[in-house]
Amino acid sequence: MLTIGKLAAAGEISPDALRYYESEGLLVPTTRTASGYRLYGEDALRRVRFIQHAQACGFTLAEIRELLQLRQTDSACCNDVRQRAIEKRLQLAVKIRSMQSMSAALDRLIAECADGSQSVDDCPILAALEQIDGGTEPAR
Amino acid sequence: MKVELIYAPGCAECITSKAGLRSAAEATLAGVEWTEINVLDALDYAVELGVLTLPALAIDGSLVFAALPTPAQLRDELLRRACHD
Repeated sequence: MLTIGKLAAAGEISPDALRYYESEGLLVPTTRTASGYRLYGEDALRRVRFIQHAQACGFTLAEIRELLQLRQTDSACCNDVRQRAIEKRLQLAVKIRSMQSMSAALDRLIAECADGSQSVDDCPILAALEQIDGGTEPAR
Repeated sequence: MKVELIYAPGCAECITSKAGLRSAAEATLAGVEWTEINVLDALDYAVELGVLTLPALAIDGSLVFAALPTPAQLRDELLRRACHD
């Protein structure tokens, strides 16, 4: 059995994060000592790694909980997991598009501010950001 | 009118629902163009439509149902659109 400190060290994660996983229903200690300290079984480290890898792929903790539940559902199959992976991929693609659009808007603003020696009052970037219509087209 | 079912391969819900939806669409309007799109073959198009969950259903290039409708819901939507055309 592993104490929370040992599991945290092995998983390169903080004990607070492990307690948070517990509060989110992702990782429950196998038992507790008479003094109330958490003790984890051998599979806990594997689960910590699973959570970390899933987070690295963009899954939220709630989604990771669903994935873990799927693993314990007899009627579930790999297609159920793949569908969630595809949906996550779609969500990431939307975020990437949105960020590309933000990046292009910033490019336009940066190009508009060719004379960096202007006073802050005349800064076209600040002027564009102040536009009431919320657009990022540079002020003329 | 063009109806597109966007699905993930192996989706059990799609397999059970698509025949009923297709029949409802074809029985509701003559000349409905029914297409089934594997999302893995058309990821960019799915993103363009705004698909975030699967399966989903688009009509004439717009995402109309983020989750599969019942055949009756699809029929109602097709009739509503046909009336507005």
